[in-house]
Amino acid sequence: MEIVVCVKPVPEAESRLRARPDGTALDPEGVKFVLTGYDESAVEQALLLKQEAAGSKVHVVALGPASRTDEVLRASLALGCDTAMAVEGNPASQDDPVAAGRGLAEAIAARGARDLVLFGKQAGDDEEGLVGGAAAEALGIPFVGFVVDLHFDAGTSRLRFGRSVERGQESWESPLPLAVGLQQAWNDPRTATLPAILRSRKAPIARHPSASAAAPTVRSVPIRFALPPPRQGAKMIEFKSPQDAAEKLVRLLREEAKVFP
Amino acid sequence: MTDTVLVIGEPDGAGLAEATLEAVGVAQKVAGPGGVVVGFVGGSDAASRAPAFASAGVGRIVLASDARLDRAPPATLARPAAAAAEGVGASVIVLGGTTFGRDLAGSLAIAFRASAANGVTEAERVPEGVKVRRPVFGGRATEERRLEGGRVVLSVRPHAFPAAHGPGVPLVAEPLPANDVPAVLLAPTRTGIAAVAQGIGPSLTDAAIVVSGGRGVRAPENFHLVDELAASLGAAVGASRAVTDAGWRPASMQVGQTGKTVSPQLYIAVGISGAVQHLIGMVSSRVIVAVNNDPTAPIFRVADYGIAADLFQIVPALTAEIRRVRGI
Repeated sequence: MEIVVCVKPVPEAESRLRARPDGTALDPEGVKFVLTGYDESAVEQALLLKQEAAGSKVHVVALGPASRTDEVLRASLALGCDTAMAVEGNPASQDDPVAAGRGLAEAIAARGARDLVLFGKQAGDDEEGLVGGAAAEALGIPFVGFVVDLHFDAGTSRLRFGRSVERGQESWESPLPLAVGLQQAWNDPRTATLPAILRSRKAPIARHPSASAAAPTVRSVPIRFALPPPRQGAKMIEFKSPQDAAEKLVRLLREEAKVFP
Repeated sequence: MTDTVLVIGEPDGAGLAEATLEAVGVAQKVAGPGGVVVGFVGGSDAASRAPAFASAGVGRIVLASDARLDRAPPATLARPAAAAAEGVGASVIVLGGTTFGRDLAGSLAIAFRASAANGVTEAERVPEGVKVRRPVFGGRATEERRLEGGRVVLSVRPHAFPAAHGPGVPLVAEPLPANDVPAVLLAPTRTGIAAVAQGIGPSLTDAAIVVSGGRGVRAPENFHLVDELAASLGAAVGASRAVTDAGWRPASMQVGQTGKTVSPQLYIAVGISGAVQHLIGMVSSRVIVAVNNDPTAPIFRVADYGIAADLFQIVPALTAEIRRVRGI
């Protein structure tokens, strides 16, 4: 099985967020872009499937400027992915998730065989969750999101998986090809060994050039990035007895917060 | 020229999901006065769901009454929905931002050759297209985007907008002339669904009120305190990762980065310290209450109201007070 896993360089969780001087988007100055949450889970899932289906290869693909993609690609290679490809994308629509999906699809189609294409269900920064569905539709393969517990049944050559939805958990099965958006794994992703990290520093990264530099007319343009005013911290309720605390809280919820009938 | 906006109906029970009715409200606003909102439903029972649109005020409905869609992925609706939008001359498509809507939006954007945004909390018609606002970075920041180029797909964050509730209008349903979904897209099949354990009350991500329990509850046999508080409020029950990892409650009840993201009107955290992992899943709740015996717990920094005391004393008193006030 040829498994493609798409990852996005995302600001480190500890990053201090601030807007660019013009206020339109996150200021990337001093921010380290790394492999995070949902994507780590997608890489882990790809590597688990590789163990289940003998002879499989895992190809990691990242979209964005080389200054950001190479870090996450090398991190993925160090975890056990077989090949890496950086997709420059269209610099004019770098922040547009639908354009990113289209760019990834072009690069994946050009790379060669793809039986299964994995995505995190959304990126940890913009939380759009659009790229997987967009790329799948552009590739002409089916897409299922919010996927958990993905397994390959070698006997039937079918995938079996769960889908975590509002009312519970669905069970699904599908032949290949398929694209999925993965819920973050409940089992902790593996960590890379030092020799693997050192090897990944010298591993080759294929580069898929940008197809067109023209700004598309249909696009999503970031116009403002704002941090909420810092939360003041909770109003702590002073009380004489548990019942007093309960009465005071319920009164505040009804009269001040107005969330309670 | 009048604006036409298409709303994608999400099947739920015998009718449509609450999130679809919220999407109708947004669609009416985006269409503006004199604009037109048209509904779309897919699946073998599409016709029987159309009246739910009409009673919310959307009379013209396009039906893709195709049984092949019943157990297929939500994204399979992309091409029929795009064809419906073309057919009625819609420039904007609105969906509820549930798992259904979020799964469909990306594919729909490609099929409809549109720009898109998921989980918006504000949407406004501007000359270039639609301006949206949405939380990002787990609620640590918000962004505004302009979706330009004439065609737009957007899903709206559940509970961020009031549901449209009429007045009802006469129903005029029309079939989608052709429904050409290629077989390859229909191959994934839903084979079953297991309801969330303790499936009484509203589901976690739909609920207007969520009560979650954490490690402070100490043992599974104490979790009934959380359940009873939730029951007194008609709330859904959630849990922190510590609780689901320990197997006290199923993983499907977990709120947080590795679980569900909720944004209810009221979130009550019982015995939850407030690890970043948990906060990401609930920080966009409108009002947050925390009960924890450690006054330095990080949960109090994001909460609106806090009670720093023993939950085993406070929670039963709170349940009793809510029952008294609600007369139950």
